Amino acid sequence: MLPLCIKDDEYKPAKFNLLAKISGWFRSILSDKTSRNLFFFLCLNLSFAFVELSYGIWSNSLGLISDSFHMFFDCTALLAGLAASVISRWRSNDSFSYGYVRAEVLAGFVNGLFLIFTAFFIFSEGVERALEPPHVNHDRLLPVSVAGLLVNLVGIFVFQHGGHGHSHGGDEGHGHSHSLFNGSAGHGHSHGGHGHESKHGDGHSHGDGHSHGGHGHSHDDPHCHDELHTPGKGSSKQILQGVFLHIVADTLGSVGVIISAILMQKYDLMIADPICSMCISILIGVSVVPLLRESIGILMQRTPPSLDNALPECYQRVQQLQGVYNLQEPHFWTLCTDVYIGTLKLLIAPDADGKWILSQTHNIFTQAGIRQLYVQIEVAAM
Amino acid sequence: MACEPNRVRLLCMLSLTFGFFIVEVVVSRITASLAMLSDSFHMLSDVIALVVALVAVRFAEKTQSTNKNTFGWIRAEVMGALVNAVFLTALCFTIILEAVERFTNPHEIEKPHVVIGVGAAGLLVNLLGLCLFHGHAGGGHGHSHGGGHSHGNKKNKRGKICKSERPNGSSGEESNNLVGSHNSPPNGVNTERHRHEIVRNDSEVHMNGSVVYEDMDHSHDEASLNMRGVFLHVLGDALGSVIVVVNALIFTFVWRPCPPGETCFNPCHSTDHQHVNHTLVDLFVDSNGSSFQRTMVGPCWVLYLDPTLCIIMVGILLYTTYPLLKESALILLQTVPKQIDMHRLNERLLLLDGVLAIHELHIWQLAGSRIIATAHIKCHDPTSYMDVAKRIKDFFHNEGIHATTIQPEFVTVNSESSASLCELSCRTQCAPKLCCGATDKPGVAGTGPAGTEKGPSGEGKALAASAMEVISEIPEGAAGAGASVLEQAAAAVIQVVPRIPEPEVIITREVESSL
Repeated sequence: MLPLCIKDDEYKPAKFNLLAKISGWFRSILSDKTSRNLFFFLCLNLSFAFVELSYGIWSNSLGLISDSFHMFFDCTALLAGLAASVISRWRSNDSFSYGYVRAEVLAGFVNGLFLIFTAFFIFSEGVERALEPPHVNHDRLLPVSVAGLLVNLVGIFVFQHGGHGHSHGGDEGHGHSHSLFNGSAGHGHSHGGHGHESKHGDGHSHGDGHSHGGHGHSHDDPHCHDELHTPGKGSSKQILQGVFLHIVADTLGSVGVIISAILMQKYDLMIADPICSMCISILIGVSVVPLLRESIGILMQRTPPSLDNALPECYQRVQQLQGVYNLQEPHFWTLCTDVYIGTLKLLIAPDADGKWILSQTHNIFTQAGIRQLYVQIEVAAM
Repeated sequence: MACEPNRVRLLCMLSLTFGFFIVEVVVSRITASLAMLSDSFHMLSDVIALVVALVAVRFAEKTQSTNKNTFGWIRAEVMGALVNAVFLTALCFTIILEAVERFTNPHEIEKPHVVIGVGAAGLLVNLLGLCLFHGHAGGGHGHSHGGGHSHGNKKNKRGKICKSERPNGSSGEESNNLVGSHNSPPNGVNTERHRHEIVRNDSEVHMNGSVVYEDMDHSHDEASLNMRGVFLHVLGDALGSVIVVVNALIFTFVWRPCPPGETCFNPCHSTDHQHVNHTLVDLFVDSNGSSFQRTMVGPCWVLYLDPTLCIIMVGILLYTTYPLLKESALILLQTVPKQIDMHRLNERLLLLDGVLAIHELHIWQLAGSRIIATAHIKCHDPTSYMDVAKRIKDFFHNEGIHATTIQPEFVTVNSESSASLCELSCRTQCAPKLCCGATDKPGVAGTGPAGTEKGPSGEGKALAASAMEVISEIPEGAAGAGASVLEQAAAAVIQVVPRIPEPEVIITREVESSL
């Protein structure tokens, strides 16, 4: 059968199809629960920011405009978390022999840093306003902040409920335990007090249209539980923790704004606003510390804290193997959550069975939870 | 301890900046100027950046390994650089926000003379800082000149001395072979190749464990990543001071303020209410025809100068901060250092005698020039192993990787064709969870299909045929190995089965792994 028409199209080199690439990213985002949730929150946040921005421009309220800018800043935290959750699923290649899994730790760390920066910024604004209390027009303040708080609470409730559906190990409680006392919409504060413009009595709606809910904390358990998870779904605890802290930071802020607005309206305590700001910024700072400590530990290649007790035992057992003289230079570190990598050097007798020692050592450490181990064997010269 | 110059400089700058911060706060209280107060907070952020850098330097000096931090604290440099870079980025966002606000709501500067004075003092402090840290940054941004490089070299030499003095911690293994030449070159492949040639000639020198100082281009020396962060921060501050001073100068000379006691008309959208009121009064007065002299407040564009300059400054800052951010983030992501080509490394390793296969090769950078590599190497038997091990170590030393951990894997009896299989890989249920989603199969992570399949030993080709053999051989041959038999069989089974449709697997894997 002769071909009547030959199409050359298949042989054209693949063009850099931006659309295909972007649609690939979308598919990747929507496939995983964590990133899906993050993506929807990001969209929600962005849309609220745009709404606030347009309303602010239309009503010529500088407070709203600056608040919307701060929401954009908040979106960057969500964006970082989303990017990290997508990137950490990429496969390893020549430049990244371990893959991109560290991205989640890095994202958590960067989010923590942003949070600290926000806290510092709010604190400084609070100090400024304490020294020179501006006249805050709080007509539109209360309703808008109440609306923001309600939306936040609804979001948190909805997503906390969905988030615990997958609890296997006990690790998850961890991620949430520092969340609840933390949220602050410090942003609400930081522009209530661009004290300058409040001088001319703009409708200073201070409100926090942030509707950040909690997260679908999809904590896929990386432990060997005889279920075959896809490798990419390792716990994204760090990302979620960082983003969650950032998001719940808004809720407390709304609460703070409401409290200070009430105080100002009822008791005319102008000092309430800066004091609330400062308290909230301190709260944010304090709650970020655990996240920062953990991610710094991982990034500094510290021995995994959860193995602190198990490791000396393992060393003992290895040294008791027949033929092993000495165990030297052990290095154990965390690649990403719950994945540990270790290297060590063994000095063995010349007549010892290297293979057996190797496999025994691997056994011992696998029981401790370290699956990637590199054991270098040096035979003692006799 | 050594590495004094860094610390001394940082302390110096820190005290200067902090003192200036106090001065600014006091002045702002005296003159009741809010702008000064916000500028003082800017100074405070500078102080914090310096503190971060100082802490990082202090920690990074402790290169001795401790119980918890077996690699020592040397990564603190990279962390400090990252923190500073992130901080700078966040600051830039804040400045953009304020600039936008200023656009919609321009302010006049009150008491411009005070502002000029304080701004000039700040500029002096920052210029001093720039001079202090200039050499350390190595001028990665086009400031590099001979002087900069010699500074960098000297600092590096001192730095290397510090490192080589440390006791037998984790560094004991690499001894003192921290060769300065193996920092990442500023440009790509060519210099790297060139350097490899040089290094090979000097291989004997490396072996002796002496510290070799090569006078190479240190402009991107990772040891000064931290200092680069500080330099950028100080640069940003200097630019800010420049803007403040320029703005205030132009304001003093160009702006015609509203003279006190006179009516004037303010066409610019200003925050000053009395001007607005005056315009109305003005119109009334003029309609009586009394005088045409309506003093207009100075040219409006002056008010918009400040935010414009700010935005330009932010652009410059972001442009210069981005490389620092990227570099420190890449190190923390455990990437293979730029100057190392994994592919070629793999091929050359396979060319060594006695090396049958390589598995799980991972190379990453700890900080500065300390590169760490780990691998499983398959060889014939334990007797030839020590010999092979030495050669492998030398090979890595030549590449500039001085901390290596090589796990030997011995070929099981009679199964030569299983050379590509990883003998000691993970068990069944852990297989998919092996390395955080790197690949689905253990034993291939990082090496890529090329390393194992196309190796000159040609072992990989006959896997399909040998599948059955391997499974049957292992229990018989290695019966004496005790508990390891089952694992090995299991591992072998896991690995062999997916490999049977070999050609397609290779292709798809390659596509996936390059993303």
